[in-house]
Amino acid sequence: MIAPREPLRRIVVVGGGQLGVLAAIALRRALPVCQVVVVGQLPSPASFADWSPTALPFTNKLHDRLGVAEDAIVLRAGGSHRLVTRYLGWGGEGQAGVLAYGETLDPVLKTAFAREWGGGRPLPGGPRPAGSVAEVLADAGRFAPPPPDQQTPLSDIDYSLRWNAQAYRGLLIEHAQALGVDYVEGEIDRVEPGEGDTIRAIGLAGQGEIEADFFVDCSGPQARLLASHPQFAMVDWSASLPTRKVYLSGPGAPMAALEDRVSLLAEGWLVEIAGRDGLYRMLGTSEEVSRDAALQALGAPAAAVVALEPGRVAAPWLGNVVALGDATARFEPIGPWHLDLAHRQLHLLLEMLPGRQIEPLERAEYNRRSVLMMEGVHETLALHFASDRGRAVFGDRALPNRLGEVIDQCRRRGRIPFREEQPLVPQEQFALMAALGFKPGLPPVARSAYQHSEERAKEGFAARSTQALQFAPPYERWLASMLQPSRAPAG
Amino acid sequence: MGSETAKRLRVVVLGGGTAGWMTAAGIARLLPDLANVQLVESEDIGIVGVGEATLPHIRGFVERLGIDEAAFMKATHATYKLGIDFRDFGRIGESYIHPFGSFGEELRGVGFHHYWLELHRQGLARPLGEYSLAVAAAQANRFRPPSLDSSLGSTYGYAYQFDATLFGPFMREFGVSIGVERHEGVVTSVERDAETGDVRALCLRDGQRIEGDLFVDCSGFRSVLLGQELAVDWEDWIHWLPCDRAAAMPCTHATEDLRPYTTATAMPAGWRWQIPLQHRMGNGYVFSSAHLDEDAACEAIRTSAEGTPLAEPRILRFRPGRRAQSWSHNVIGVGLASGFLEPLESTSIYLAQMAITYLIELFPQDGTIDPRDRDEFNRMVDMEYDRVRDFLILHYHATTRDDSEFWNHVRTMTVPDSLADKLELWRKAGRIEKYSDGLFYDASWIAAYVGQGLLPERYDPRPALGDPAQLARAAERLHEAIAQEVAAMPDHRAFLLREAARIAEAA
Repeated sequence: MIAPREPLRRIVVVGGGQLGVLAAIALRRALPVCQVVVVGQLPSPASFADWSPTALPFTNKLHDRLGVAEDAIVLRAGGSHRLVTRYLGWGGEGQAGVLAYGETLDPVLKTAFAREWGGGRPLPGGPRPAGSVAEVLADAGRFAPPPPDQQTPLSDIDYSLRWNAQAYRGLLIEHAQALGVDYVEGEIDRVEPGEGDTIRAIGLAGQGEIEADFFVDCSGPQARLLASHPQFAMVDWSASLPTRKVYLSGPGAPMAALEDRVSLLAEGWLVEIAGRDGLYRMLGTSEEVSRDAALQALGAPAAAVVALEPGRVAAPWLGNVVALGDATARFEPIGPWHLDLAHRQLHLLLEMLPGRQIEPLERAEYNRRSVLMMEGVHETLALHFASDRGRAVFGDRALPNRLGEVIDQCRRRGRIPFREEQPLVPQEQFALMAALGFKPGLPPVARSAYQHSEERAKEGFAARSTQALQFAPPYERWLASMLQPSRAPAG
Repeated sequence: MGSETAKRLRVVVLGGGTAGWMTAAGIARLLPDLANVQLVESEDIGIVGVGEATLPHIRGFVERLGIDEAAFMKATHATYKLGIDFRDFGRIGESYIHPFGSFGEELRGVGFHHYWLELHRQGLARPLGEYSLAVAAAQANRFRPPSLDSSLGSTYGYAYQFDATLFGPFMREFGVSIGVERHEGVVTSVERDAETGDVRALCLRDGQRIEGDLFVDCSGFRSVLLGQELAVDWEDWIHWLPCDRAAAMPCTHATEDLRPYTTATAMPAGWRWQIPLQHRMGNGYVFSSAHLDEDAACEAIRTSAEGTPLAEPRILRFRPGRRAQSWSHNVIGVGLASGFLEPLESTSIYLAQMAITYLIELFPQDGTIDPRDRDEFNRMVDMEYDRVRDFLILHYHATTRDDSEFWNHVRTMTVPDSLADKLELWRKAGRIEKYSDGLFYDASWIAAYVGQGLLPERYDPRPALGDPAQLARAAERLHEAIAQEVAAMPDHRAFLLREAARIAEAA
């Protein structure tokens, strides 16, 4: 006889950072009959997903589904919007490019771009036509998030949110409390095995033990639970990812830009994330760069320094423990990939939520997809270091998986081979590669009579850009109007 | 544009069937500055003309070539297709439609089929198909193109059922009109480069010598270039897909109704197709020659066909499998020359179209073939074939039939590991292995699993947690909305006539 699976009765989430709390919210909403307990402490700054002040557009959809309102993030967690990320210096000194989100760019224009750019024209100090409406808006500093149920010239613009990590976590904790998520603070001092390869309970120093059917490890890079499993193993990424030290600044002066920056300097890479609470800077270097040189390049006092050994776990779900985020993969924070990966893994877990009886094949299928996600991020990061100047600064690195083919196909044909579970859709991958200074080739069909449609597409793009510019208010004005005390709704 | 100075590649297509003319027209249309296309065909060699039923992808192909849908439908006597009705596969007397569409809607991140399974357990579920607009419209013999918004009316796609013997000539006329050079003749020998082994020219019986840089083998099962000349290995799949013959026989329509779907009825040694075209019904018995002889198959199709026969049954012989490489040296196999999967899910034309699309994407640039492009082509073609293969095997394997040696064989055979894992994942947890490339996603697998009586032992816990009455009411509302939508659709034949009138007026 067929039957629904017996639901989990108690889930323990280990790790009380912004990832663990959101995971608890998600699990509690998915299974209201199940007790969800968050155990542990705030992960260290080395848990990038837990301290990330920003994510990618996927997180907005996850927030929607979990009832975390964007307005609340803007009003109460210092929220702001990013339309584009600008990449500086990866293709060579003075080279720059922009990554916007979504599939909104007309493929014909992508071709036009490759034609104009791949044709060997040296890169300009002069103006280059923008690649997307988002870029036009970011350059003009104009934007307001479009209302979801209304078609406006901004409806197709996809964006990412930024926030103050502490305030955002506070907001999530309120949500979790309202949903009845339990919280136990304490230090895990032992893991009690159960039947087979499962965990029966964890012990908290001086507080006894907590049993559960299922454990979600959001403890950050130490992977407190997963690493205790006898089958735990790591896959080394150090051959392809060169960053060994990450210097994190405290918040600088507040900045309401619609873009963030990822630059390549002689010392390493520098990420600048704007925010209403301040500009965050992160610098990543190889082992060779001295602390003094690094701090000078960071341009601000370092609040923390993180040593990196890049790699991922071989299997993120072992027995009845699933790890998310930094507990599954350690790598450099050149962009919000940590939190985006963690949220996509969480979404996968919600999709494949098991019953009390876990089936080996569902674990295998989950692991297959979660590993694809991690390797997708791995490839995305490795692209940075495969760029012309990336190689000059960090030295030649091995290319993971099929990345060599991807670069080859893009360079010769402007083609991005499809791979499952990538963090970026093919068009975004194309934009990122162009921004990193890879010169895309022309696809065969574009070598033939495409000119006509290209002209039309350009005109269409110009018209859409004009409309969007006319419609969108200056972003700072919109922010100010949002933050007027009179219209701030109660949480 | 710099390309005027570039030398055009000389492309020679061998074979004037459906795959040959699709390839020639596609390349001539989309790569006019990169290629000159010649096609060699012979009136002495018949064409198989497979693929009367198609998948929705064909629309994209026709559109991309700039062909008017209406003109194309008129020329090929096409009807619309919303899916395939599978009868007697899981068990004699049971049937289901595999639609070009979805079932219900995901709710709170949980697939609709888990909710359906919960309703089913409680005895409150209608057949799964009644929660699919495509299925309901098909069963009512109604059709209209899907809406372009995100409403219920957009939750399906459509394909065509057409006369494959007319589709080739239609593409030929189009191909010739855009500059494909046609040669009549039979290949008697193939000239190879002594050093590289590449094909240099085809020598025809009448003495013509057709030189080329790139050869596309569309010679059907004979696989003249890829199989015979280059001796590329054949991976045989007959142990999984035992059908290797078809007895085809067109008939008149037996009834006024024009079904917007194809029917596949399981038979003692295979299955039988019925494909409604505007002017006739296509019929055929796909069978395993190890289990049934050809005369008996012809007799079976004569007895089972419903209308008046328009011709004697014709036997087609084939072999399931694919070449180890579909692109070797400077020869690319498209269609049957590169592989064959029986027409159970109407994939023949899709597989040809897929290969053409990848060839155009990976077309040699600057006059030379880059081995990296060839590898990429072969990787993608293999992936497509293997995914379709597993899905086809499922239709035979997921059965309780034990009424013939054929069904005993397929029911008990060992399936590929890739399929065995999918089946186990479904049985134990009601989940589908996820991919976004290739053919047949969640809804297709669910249609076949559920339709063939393979229900999972366990499914997602969440649907059982809510109020069952509320769930049942929501399902009823969906069913009613579908019924209303179907009631507002025109009859399939009436819609075709109306379209024909509109075209005539416009002309």
